[in-house]
Amino acid sequence: MIVSDVMLPLDKFPVLNQYTIFKVCLDEMGFWRLGVSCIVDESGHLLGLFTDGDLRRKLLKIQKPIASLFVDDVLDHSIRDPHKVKSSDSLASAVELMEIHQVWDLPVVDDTNKLVGLLHLHPAVKALLHPHSN
Amino acid sequence: MNSRTITVGYGNVKPVTIGKGHPLVYIGGPCAIESRDHAFYMADQISKICSRLNIPWIYKSCYDKDCRSAPDSFHGLGLDHGLQILSAIREEFGVPVVSDFSDPAWASATGEVCDMIQVPAYLCRQTSVLKAAATTNRPIHLKKGQFMSPWNMKNSVRKIEAAGNYQILLADRGTFFGYNMLVNDFTSLPIMARTGYPVCFDATHSIQLPTSMGNISGGQREFIPHLVRAAAACGIHALFMETHNDPPNAMSDANTVLDMKYLEYILAHAKAMHEARLHLLAEHGEDQVHVEAQ
Repeated sequence: MIVSDVMLPLDKFPVLNQYTIFKVCLDEMGFWRLGVSCIVDESGHLLGLFTDGDLRRKLLKIQKPIASLFVDDVLDHSIRDPHKVKSSDSLASAVELMEIHQVWDLPVVDDTNKLVGLLHLHPAVKALLHPHSN
Repeated sequence: MNSRTITVGYGNVKPVTIGKGHPLVYIGGPCAIESRDHAFYMADQISKICSRLNIPWIYKSCYDKDCRSAPDSFHGLGLDHGLQILSAIREEFGVPVVSDFSDPAWASATGEVCDMIQVPAYLCRQTSVLKAAATTNRPIHLKKGQFMSPWNMKNSVRKIEAAGNYQILLADRGTFFGYNMLVNDFTSLPIMARTGYPVCFDATHSIQLPTSMGNISGGQREFIPHLVRAAAACGIHALFMETHNDPPNAMSDANTVLDMKYLEYILAHAKAMHEARLHLLAEHGEDQVHVEAQ
């Protein structure tokens, strides 16, 4: 089983351009009920990742008003060059990578670093446990 | 964040570039165009001062003061007459000119004459005003509203950019502190500079006490030199100060406009502080204190 078998397509998780403000990023993550946003450039190449964990760390560290944080470009607060996988990678190795780095999501990119999907832990585990169900 | 510069001036005037790596620019003149003779007299005097100090400058004066406190306050010479005078000043002195506009319908005519178009602070988030300014394709002097946080000015910048204009100068003119009172939060300058656009400090409106005198505004102009030095030390690319040869009889902003007899020494201070800051940055590196505690 490979990553592309269970990855979320681009229209099923938050994919935001680099100039999206922080507030809209949180809205999108709430809408999709996912703890992650992928930040891309104009041509869809992955620039960074923003997660619920980043938000928790940000709230503890940031000293400026929340209203000021909300209007920042989300890319300013994102993890650059995050862990990622290819769609042709084996699902087992991708889940192992999640365990090593203690993350629940991995962006899926092609050879040019263009975002093609998102691997979320729950569907990955479900597919590994029940390989013959949809 | 890339630092942008803007260049103000078309046709035969001497263009003025505002932004990182360029000299501090002075933007000023009488608040309102009072008459052709007075406008020419002021332009001549300011031109000589800026020439002595070797400071690039832009002549500012408005043809319509739409935000006056009282119905019988001087409103201005009007669009056509005012722009004729500004056009003549461009020709005579070779200096770029700027005027604000309060009605989107005035933007096109203003942009045809003026080298830069100014968005009044009270109107700084009005989409129709920002769009009208942007479509003139002139550089835009965008003043932060007294009611606006510096970070939220990014929304106004985005509105201008959405209309295809990327020539913006962001100015701080003070922030409301309760009623009839302004304060200067100088963190607004680096915060607005994070948009990538150059920033300006408006000294003479920062010392205004808005409508503090019933139906006109007061002002504490004794603080102008202090605020100018502080702003220049903080980091600005342009300094805005309205000036008049006879403030008590100025037809607009009589309580805030700087007496022209003080202009030269204040500009000299501003230039020295600006250059001292650049010298420090060149010697010790750019400001690098991290945004967040580690």
